[in-house]
Amino acid sequence: MKLQIVIEKNRDEEILIYAHEKTPLICEIEELVNNNFIDLKGYTENETVKLNLNDVYCFVTEDNKVYALTEKGKYRLKLRLYQLEENLNNNFVKINQSCIANIKKIDRFKATVGGSLTVIFKNGYVDFVSRRNLKKVKERLGL
Amino acid sequence: MNKYVKEFIHRGLIFSGFGPIILGIIYFVLSKTVDGFTLSGVEVMTGIVSTYLLAFVHAGASVFNQIEHWSIMKSLLCHLSTLYIAYSLCYVANTWIPFEPKVLLIFTIIFMVVYFVVWGIVYFTIKATSKNFNAKLK
Repeated sequence: MKLQIVIEKNRDEEILIYAHEKTPLICEIEELVNNNFIDLKGYTENETVKLNLNDVYCFVTEDNKVYALTEKGKYRLKLRLYQLEENLNNNFVKINQSCIANIKKIDRFKATVGGSLTVIFKNGYVDFVSRRNLKKVKERLGL
Repeated sequence: MNKYVKEFIHRGLIFSGFGPIILGIIYFVLSKTVDGFTLSGVEVMTGIVSTYLLAFVHAGASVFNQIEHWSIMKSLLCHLSTLYIAYSLCYVANTWIPFEPKVLLIFTIIFMVVYFVVWGIVYFTIKATSKNFNAKLK
């Protein structure tokens, strides 16, 4: 595969790949691009930080506000959950009405006596997969 | 109006018509298989209204499992008690079971056994799903 980089300040930036099939290398490039192209800013009372999607465990809605739970803490976002869902890469999947999970940050799934499926993240945060989103999670995990 | 109440009513209204349809099929089968099977106008009317309401509550109650801020146990108990009350009232109103303590006790035991068998099937299905999901995470 040939690589060509054209520095052209007057055009919109874009990455275009011509390939015979979607290989693991292309998937990696896709992930890298997706992670870098979403301009995600997180806010706390004192600071505004650029969030790296690889550090995000999940996005949650609490009291109509959207937060990102990351390795460095909890940041408020100025986006709605549905806006995030449309722009996130394949590592993210909506698990219920108020949570989008990073699959890479899930420690394990657990069945509960109530018949629901709990998600335990690597940072200890616990949420659940709603029945409505179970199919989506299955597909994203390749089942 | 609370969105869950709306959802309860919405689901209830979608499925409520199935109650009298199922009742009609059962009455049809009984009329073809049981000699001298007859029903009075009051019995038919009670049957239609009560099964309509039963189907309404049964379908609507499924919303309890989706109230995300409720604990799992609360959802389970609300679902169980709502169905138990609806089924008991429907059976007693139609005199499908007599209003006697002994009969009600047997009805309650059967109801609980069936409910928990269904619950067990759901639980073990979810458990198998979680096992599959965990295998994919590794």
